[in-house]
Amino acid sequence: MQYNVIVIGSGPGGYVAAIRCAQLGFKTAIIEKYNTLGGTCLNVGCIPSKALLDSSEHFVNAKNHFKEHGIDIPSPKVNFTQMIKRKEGVVKSNVDGIAYLMKKNKIEVYQGVGAFVDNKTIKVTATDGKVTTITTDKIIIATGSKPTPLPFAPFDKKRIISSTESLALKEVPKRLIVVGGGVIGMELGSVYARLGSKVIVVEFLESLIPTMDGTMGKELLKATKKLDMEFYLGHKVTSLKNNGREVILKAEGKDGKTLELKGDYCLVSIGRRPYTDGLALDKVGIETVKGQIPVDDHLKTKADNIYAIGDVVRGPMLAHKAEEEGVYVAEQMDGQKPHINYLLIPGVVYTWPEVASVGYTEEQLKEQGRGYKTGSFPYKALGRARASMDTDGLVKVLADKQTDEILGMHIIGARAADMIAAGVTAMEFRASAEDISRMSHAHPTYMEAVKEACLAATANRPLHM
Amino acid sequence: MAIQINVPTVGESITEVTVANWLKKDGDLVKLDEVIAELESDKATFELTAPSEGVLRIIKQQGATVPIGELLCEIEPSVEEDKHRASAPNSKATASTASAKSTGGIKEMRVPAVGESITEVTISAWLKKDGDTVRLDEIIAEVESDKATFELPAEATGILRIVAKESETLPIGGLICKIEITDAPAVASSPAPAAVQDAVSNSARDASYAAGHPSPAAAKILAEKGVSASQVKGTGVDGRITKEDAQKAQPSSPMKPVEAKTLVSSAHGPEGGRQVRNEKMTSLRRTIAKRLVAVKNETAMLTTFNEVDMKPVMDLRSRYKEQFKEKYGVGLGFMSFFTKAVCAALQEFPAVNASVNGDEIIYHDYCDISIAVSTPRGLVVPVIRNAESLSFNQIESEVVRLATKGREGKLSIEEMTGGTFSITNGGVFGSMLSTPILNPPQSAILGMHNIVERPIARKGEVMVRPIMYLALSYDHRIVDGRESVSFLVRVKEMLEDPGRLILGI
Repeated sequence: MQYNVIVIGSGPGGYVAAIRCAQLGFKTAIIEKYNTLGGTCLNVGCIPSKALLDSSEHFVNAKNHFKEHGIDIPSPKVNFTQMIKRKEGVVKSNVDGIAYLMKKNKIEVYQGVGAFVDNKTIKVTATDGKVTTITTDKIIIATGSKPTPLPFAPFDKKRIISSTESLALKEVPKRLIVVGGGVIGMELGSVYARLGSKVIVVEFLESLIPTMDGTMGKELLKATKKLDMEFYLGHKVTSLKNNGREVILKAEGKDGKTLELKGDYCLVSIGRRPYTDGLALDKVGIETVKGQIPVDDHLKTKADNIYAIGDVVRGPMLAHKAEEEGVYVAEQMDGQKPHINYLLIPGVVYTWPEVASVGYTEEQLKEQGRGYKTGSFPYKALGRARASMDTDGLVKVLADKQTDEILGMHIIGARAADMIAAGVTAMEFRASAEDISRMSHAHPTYMEAVKEACLAATANRPLHM
Repeated sequence: MAIQINVPTVGESITEVTVANWLKKDGDLVKLDEVIAELESDKATFELTAPSEGVLRIIKQQGATVPIGELLCEIEPSVEEDKHRASAPNSKATASTASAKSTGGIKEMRVPAVGESITEVTISAWLKKDGDTVRLDEIIAEVESDKATFELPAEATGILRIVAKESETLPIGGLICKIEITDAPAVASSPAPAAVQDAVSNSARDASYAAGHPSPAAAKILAEKGVSASQVKGTGVDGRITKEDAQKAQPSSPMKPVEAKTLVSSAHGPEGGRQVRNEKMTSLRRTIAKRLVAVKNETAMLTTFNEVDMKPVMDLRSRYKEQFKEKYGVGLGFMSFFTKAVCAALQEFPAVNASVNGDEIIYHDYCDISIAVSTPRGLVVPVIRNAESLSFNQIESEVVRLATKGREGKLSIEEMTGGTFSITNGGVFGSMLSTPILNPPQSAILGMHNIVERPIARKGEVMVRPIMYLALSYDHRIVDGRESVSFLVRVKEMLEDPGRLILGI
């Protein structure tokens, strides 16, 4: 078959790129290695983890907060099998949704591993061994990423596990060790902490979620300690072994002291690496650099008609970043001139409280030597937060000292993930902190904290503090 | 403040009009769009409408003949309107413009010297209105010379008094505007009464850091139109560029049509579209016009032709196109072949590479090749320096760089001066054959044309080959027929056998 565009990989970058290509009238095909569409995000990432996060959050509420709300129930118990089953149902309905979208947009789906024959031809080897060769004018590589193992302790998928296995455990671990206090470690760590596991986090750096604004890591540490999670920051893992019954981890602190931890499982969440296995990139003269496919500002690879998007290229490994790039590349092929503002791609951690952030962090502004003002407002002072007993968290707004332009917004607290969209909108239009504080915000809402933080940033005049 | 009404441009060849009839008397109150006078040219009669409400002050009496652009009358804001301002609650009336206290100093801004050969500039757009408060270094106008466009920053903080109108041409040193220096800019947040709000808040708005920032959708539309955000006046909050602003933005029409609005032709023609649009020539266009005519008058220009079988070059190009691109990151086009061939031939026939300066002939031992690039603003001719010593890939990258800058209007004057020979390619527009016109003070120009498959006879047989006609226009005052013709034959030989380019034979 001859196509205008072939997309390799059906994650949020790939399938969105395919839809946009089809909308623009390109004859489009998509290749997926696994039996279901949707990639990491839908199958073993964003969606299933959120399913478990929500279930476990309900459990914590029933166990700890219902009584105070005036709801007396017998002490609730976790039915982990049902929890995992519900999660699988959520995943299925989502991946089926993608299959429907492919059909609706007349996008041909090829199951199998795509490999370059030349820059116009791709060989797809299906799981059953059947080989199909298809040709195209243009190609989008969207093969995503895989969890990175510790160099001395590969995933055995039994007790030394990655995020993928942690989403399909057979039991709630008694003791779970998490290596890496980043987004994935904190999310999955809190799932099991809520369900009753003793969760111990070992992080190499001195703070949690270290890529985000420093205040966020500190606040998250405070909030998650309430879940009885234990933290060893500034510790370098030196060995990790599975002896069949349990895992034994050794780490070294900054002070040189050795730490030994035992647990049922060890979740290694130290990052993800771009995935290009089996693509035969050498056939089209593309060489990866540190695993990534090098691209120019227009996401074009060294080969003229081949583009790459999402986790396989530079930039944050986020589903919504990949989606933007998918649309960008498709529209560019159509001769349009879209743009992506990488500074304004929000980052979110779905712990409870949630963490969300956009723009520059305070640390970055300091490093740039830029004059800035800070405004914070705590959830504690918010009527809505008190009503729902979600008083952990704060909103922090950073604004330019001279112009008052918002340079960064960082939220930790209930519904932060949804609220950050307002920060993105404001910053895309280069709003000032005062602009936001002069817009009506419905009462009582969590968003009032954003308005108050902006008032605080503008001239230190929050109304409710 | 009085609004001045000048005689508008009414037609191509019309230079003056006669005031046939004042329909309003001096001191009359006139309304917006009310017809106040009839003007007569040698071709037709026009009605003059009032551009605003106010009291009419007639300056040129009935029967007077007035050149285009000269002052006809003034309209002063009506007493009623003034009263209204004065009585408006909380009104600071005109004082609010002056609320930034005047220090009494006046800064006169004159046209700066912008380049060696530039003697005059045109005000292409005022970004600020008369009476606006401007800040030091704030961009207040765009100015165009025949070579480039540049922005004019305010030389002081104060109230702007415009002297030179939009599309007016000024010599270097000419007075552009005056700024009544104030000690501090007007405060943006002080509430201004409606009547004067425009003037004050406009300036406060433009001072915002966000002025001219396009929304995401607007940015995409502008990029696709090839319009830079700085050319668009944002109507959004604080001067932001909205999607609608971007949709309305016109690519590259630096001049707005002259206020034809105030003029309605009273000579009713047949129905159906017969509208004409009067646009003053841009400074660039006028210079082009002047120069082209001068070349025709001042040189002994004639053209010699030849044809080139492009097959060898095309074969070579298709064979190495991809490797070339891969190695150098730039496409292998025809320009490099032509430039190389021309440079080799120029070194054999120095007269073709020479220029005339009064009684002297200046010979150049280097080849600075001017390449004609068509841009939305008109033709520009950037120069590839020392093309004789550049490799194919260096030439191609230079062409791409200069053409891109040209289209974006970013070429510096330096990049456009001093060529010793020109190449123009009418072929890109489909030209079969043309006689290019010299680019003074150069003495020759090569015209490339489209490549067409033509039947030709070779060794008694008819075959089909891709042929390009070449034209060389030259200044016969210093280039003899033998030189020009031989030059073109050399170029032809080298293109038909590119191996010669390497071997220098």
